[in-house]
Parts: sequence; structure tokens; C-alpha cells
Amino acid sequence: MEQQRAPDRLEIPLTSLKEGEIGIVSSIKGAYGRGGRAGRGFEKRLMDMGLTPGTEILVVKSAPFHGPIEILVRGSRLALGRGMAERIFVVKKENV
Amino acid sequence: MSKKKITMALAGNANVGKSVIFNHLTGLHQHIGNWPGKTIEKAEGTLHYKGYTIDVVDLPGIYSLSTYSLEELISRKYIAVERPDVVVNVIDASVLERNLFFTLQLMELETPMVIALNQMDIAKNKGIKIDVEKLEKLLGVPVVPTIAIKGIGITQLLDKVIEVAEKGRKEIFQIKYGREIEERIAKIEEMVKRIQFYYPSRYAAIKLLEGDEEIEREIAKIDPQIVLLAKRLTKEIEEIHGHTCSTVITSERYEKAGCIAREVQKLVPPLKPSIEEKIHNLTTHKVLGYPIMILIMLSMFYTVFIFGGYISDLLNHIFYGLEPFLIDVLGAGAASSLLWSIMEGIIAGLTIALPYIAPFYIILYILEDSGYLSRVAFLMDSLMHKMGLHGKAFIPLMLGYGCNVPACLGCRIMETERERLLAVFVTTLVPCAARTVIILGLVGQFLGIHWALMLYIFNLTVIFLLGRLAFKTLPGEPTALMMEISTYKVPHLKTVLKQTWFRLGEFIKIAFPLIIIGSLSIKFMEFLGLLELITMALSPITVEWLGLPAITGVTFIFGVLRKELTLIMLSTLLKTTNFASVLTTNQMIVYTIVIMFYIPCISTIAALIKEIGWRKALLITIFEIAFAIVLGGIAMRILTLTLS
Repeated sequence: MEQQRAPDRLEIPLTSLKEGEIGIVSSIKGAYGRGGRAGRGFEKRLMDMGLTPGTEILVVKSAPFHGPIEILVRGSRLALGRGMAERIFVVKKENV
Repeated sequence: MSKKKITMALAGNANVGKSVIFNHLTGLHQHIGNWPGKTIEKAEGTLHYKGYTIDVVDLPGIYSLSTYSLEELISRKYIAVERPDVVVNVIDASVLERNLFFTLQLMELETPMVIALNQMDIAKNKGIKIDVEKLEKLLGVPVVPTIAIKGIGITQLLDKVIEVAEKGRKEIFQIKYGREIEERIAKIEEMVKRIQFYYPSRYAAIKLLEGDEEIEREIAKIDPQIVLLAKRLTKEIEEIHGHTCSTVITSERYEKAGCIAREVQKLVPPLKPSIEEKIHNLTTHKVLGYPIMILIMLSMFYTVFIFGGYISDLLNHIFYGLEPFLIDVLGAGAASSLLWSIMEGIIAGLTIALPYIAPFYIILYILEDSGYLSRVAFLMDSLMHKMGLHGKAFIPLMLGYGCNVPACLGCRIMETERERLLAVFVTTLVPCAARTVIILGLVGQFLGIHWALMLYIFNLTVIFLLGRLAFKTLPGEPTALMMEISTYKVPHLKTVLKQTWFRLGEFIKIAFPLIIIGSLSIKFMEFLGLLELITMALSPITVEWLGLPAITGVTFIFGVLRKELTLIMLSTLLKTTNFASVLTTNQMIVYTIVIMFYIPCISTIAALIKEIGWRKALLITIFEIAFAIVLGGIAMRILTLTLS
């Protein structure tokens, strides 16, 4: 598999994309919660739902009051809590 | 083993229709609805078909065969160790790629399988066309298209299952990973082949590279050398790719699933957004989503009240009309007075409880089947965080309005033990259908719908405050929400009615015997003079502190069995269903508040013990009794001050 790394492009958290924008997953940062134990499980859960590096994610909408965001990934509609979405780093895909 | 016996297991992602197929096959009543995570334990049933006895096992929905969640471990072990003759992989045709990701993992378990390509109708609505034959050829697994909810394709599926079971496993296609990974899989596989292990050796090798804890542990017991080798090779792969090895393997698997999906499906996206999408956008809208949610809840509440009240009145008239006739038939005497008190209990059950419970369940199931609940989970996520939970916890909470027992079990969709405990606790405070009978049947009927509505809002406030308090005592960061938002569907009326009917059947089977026993024991207690003793003993609480008639003490005891018994027994004790003639406004409200909170009924306590252990269950029970009494007393004093 080829590495989709673009060092000259900015990696930003998924939460900084606006509605309707597309990001390409570059990495998932940090263990979740205290202690690194839950970290691996957290990353694995995201992977299993299809958020592997190089995957395109469309941000459909975000709920108010610091709520979750709705994304479209590999044809399925997912709700992601904000805390989780903040740890997913993407490269913004410019409009073609 | 006789040749005529087949075991088949249903496996696949959450919310793809496994339980629907299971119900069709076995005629059993696995709960179905439109949100991910309903099936929490594997269910089993049997059917007879073409001379075969087929044992069907319904497994919980999972997205992967790793061991990060209990469901995944259960399903994987079941398939690998129990070795069902055929695994039916149910996949959602409208989300093919992610579903195939799971299929590829199942194939690595080298089990004989058949694919049920379900929800073909939804895929079609989304403009997805799937070439079934091509999919079959690419995977080397028989594929049967189905629309399970309508029963389409089920017999074809059974025929295929029998065919595969008879033939046994044939060579199943396995995906090939990149060369650098395959080389290392081969090295580990060679070593695993030399030991006796219940997972296929290639599967074990791949899982070792992925760092699977269960397999590492099991293999280390037999030959720790293998685990060491795997760890070294894992490092090598990580150095090549710059990602964890498990990420690399998962990515490649998804890559493959994506390739297959793209090859077999033709996408003809509809020109304008579908109605489904419009409704979805409206019901999850930043601003409009919330008023819509409140509107839906309110209309649910009003419908149940109006419809239930109407039926209740109607039944009351019928029974009042019959009363002289019945008294004539029964005649006078001790035996007939005993019979009469049983009759009164049954009549009260029919006129008070059933009219509210039936419409309530119909509406709840319609909401559940439509897929609205996962939208509510999305909207309520940030509010639930204030209670240390995430949005998904709102689903069992909503189902708690039906019955607390399945709702408590449903709290298993929460990821950690702490969250399950918090969710279970708040769920027991939700007024279930039985408590709705009191709220609507007593307060609603005699004081007006607005009082009932206020009690519901009061209840929600208390739930929120107690939830926050529980969160403060059990601190910790809530897990973030991660949930698939299911596609909206037109609720399947037959399913809704069937589930309601099943619930009502349960009610009649459990509640009516209890009503009869309750009425009889009241008669006996009256006869032995015990009734007075109990009411006397409880009167410091009931009369002094709560300001209620002393007789209500007895009803609280019966309410432990089932909450609607409180009102039904009250009517038998007071010999009337016109509660306004025996209770004042304040008394009705205080009585209802206490019933709303005072104890989870006995079945809920049993569910609590099962889910969180008897210590915590006892703690919750004692807390709620004390809380309800304190709250009731305070409410009584405030009401006397403001309403006098």
C-alpha cells in the first residue's frame, strides 16, 4: 500500500472543517482519556468503522452546544462525539 | 451427529436485519427496531425445513472480529470454537463497503458461509444497483438477495444454507495483503501450524500481527516463541509503513472491500435529495431539530392520553352496564364477595391499565422502527455529557418509557462499566408505561392533562439533576459518541403491531395473575385484620409525612410487583374508579410523585441485579425509596402552601 503523506500540507483536526467540506484522514492522535490503555481501543474502533488513513470524510453537519458531528464515510452515515472528532487529523481536500 | 441437523449462525454489522431474519425463521420474538445495538445476547431458536432440524443462532451486531468489545469476542469465539455448520453473514446492501469489510474477516475464519444481501429495497432507493452474480464470483461465497422485513428471499436463503451445509466447506477465497505483510504472515503461520490451536493458523497469524490480546495470550500459553516472533515482525512492518501494524492491515482490508464494492455496484444517485434525506436533515437540524423533537414527544403524549382516556371511558361504561347483571349471577355470600373482588381487580386492570399501555407501545415502536431514536441520540449528545454519558444512552432512556426492564438491558450499548451504571440508574427513574397509567389515568383524568404534563417535565428535571449528581459521585471522562445513524424507514406496521401485541400478551400473562392474587390477598388480609396492621404501621409515612389516606400504604406494597397495581389495588380497596371522590388534588399529585420514583418494580430490580450486581442494585433501590418519600413530603408541603 502506498503512503499518502503530504508533509507540505496542513494537518488539521476534523472539527475545524466546515459543513460540506471534505478531509482526508492522515492520523489519529493521542490516547483517549487518562492513561494510554483506552487509546488503542479508541483508534481501533475508528479504523473498524472505516476511518483508515487516506480515507475521504465528508462533514455533513455539526450539532449545536459543542455537540457531535455527522460525517459520511465509505457510504455510511456516522455520528462522532466532538472529543473523538478532535483527535482525528485530516488534510483538507480543496475543491476540484 | 445425525445428518439432518444443521446449526446456522447469523452474523454481521449492527442494524442490518439479523434479528428480523431470525424472527422469520424461528417464529420467535427477538426485539427488532431501527437503531444499532439492540441484540445484546445471542439468541437461539429452532426450525424444521425440508426434513432438516435447523438451529438458528442470532449473534449481536459487530463491525469487526477484534476483541475490543465483549460482543465481538462472544461472536468470534462462537464461530471459531462452537463451529456452526454455516454462518449466514447478513449484510446491508446500502452500505456495501463497510459490510464487506466484516465479510472479509469472517472469510479469514475459514467457516462455511452464505451471504444474505439484505435491505435491497433501501439500496435501490438510494440508487445503488448490485450485481449479485459478480459479487458471488469475486467472494466465492453464495449470495442471496433478501428483503427480510417483507420475508423476501428467506426460503432461498434456507435452501442455500442446506446446500452449503451438505457440501461442507469448499476452498474459500482469502484476501492477499501486501507482499511485505504476506511474507511475515507465512512465517508466523508456519509456526502456528505446528501447535494445536482452535483458530485457523492463517487467521491466528494475521491476528498476532494486529496485536490481538486474546490470541496472544492463548498462544503464549502454548509456545511463547511464536508471540515473540510476531512482535518482532510487527515492528518491522510498522517501520516500513509508519503506522501501527493493525492500522496497516485494517486499511488493506478496507481497500479490498472498497475495490469489491466498486466493482459490483452501480451508483445512480437520485437527482434530487430523497424524502429520507430531507426528513433526516430536518430532524437533525441545528435549530429546528429540537422543537421538532419536543413536538414529537408532546404529540405522543397527547395521543396516548386522548386515545387511552376514550377507550378507558368506553370500557368503564360497558362494565358499569354489566355490573347489576354480574351481581345477579354471582349472588350474595362470602364466596361471591371473594369472586367479586377478583372481578373488580380485573375490571380495573382492563379499564385503567390496558387502554394507555396499548397506544403507548404502538407509538414507541413506530418511533423505534422509523430510525428516529438514533437522531435523538445525536441531538441529545451534549446534554447527556452533563450526566457523564453520551448520546447513545438516550436510546435506552427513551425505551424506558415503555418498560424499564429491556431498557436496563439495553444500557449495554454503553461502552464502559461506569457508563452502564450511570445509564441504568437514570433509566430506572424514567416513568414506564405502568407509571404512565397512574400519571395519565389518575392525574391526567381527574386534574387535567396539564398537571400530567407538568409531572413529566418535573420527572425529566429530577432525572437530569440526579444524573448529574451520580456523575459527580462517579467521575470520569465520558466515552465519545460513535454511532451509525441508521437510514429512515417507513415503519413496518405489521412489525409494530406484532411487537405491541407481544408486549400486551406479556402484560396480560404477568399482570392479570398478579391482580387476581393481589385482590385475593387483600381480601384475606382484611379477613385476618392484617390490612389495618399494615396501614397502621405505615401511617407515620403515608399519613403524617405524605398526607395521604392510610389505605395507600397497602397499595405501595403491591406496587413493588408492578407499578400499575398501585392504582388498581387502590380502586379495589376504595371500591371505586372515581378517584376524585376519595383523593384531594394534592393527594393525587403526591401519590403519583411517590409512585414515579419510589422503587423500581421487582422485575426491574432483577434486571438491575443481572446488570450491575446485587450490591449496587440494592443501593439504587434503597436510595430511590428514601428519595421518593422525602420528595413526596416536600411536594405535599409546597402544594399545601401554594394551592391553599
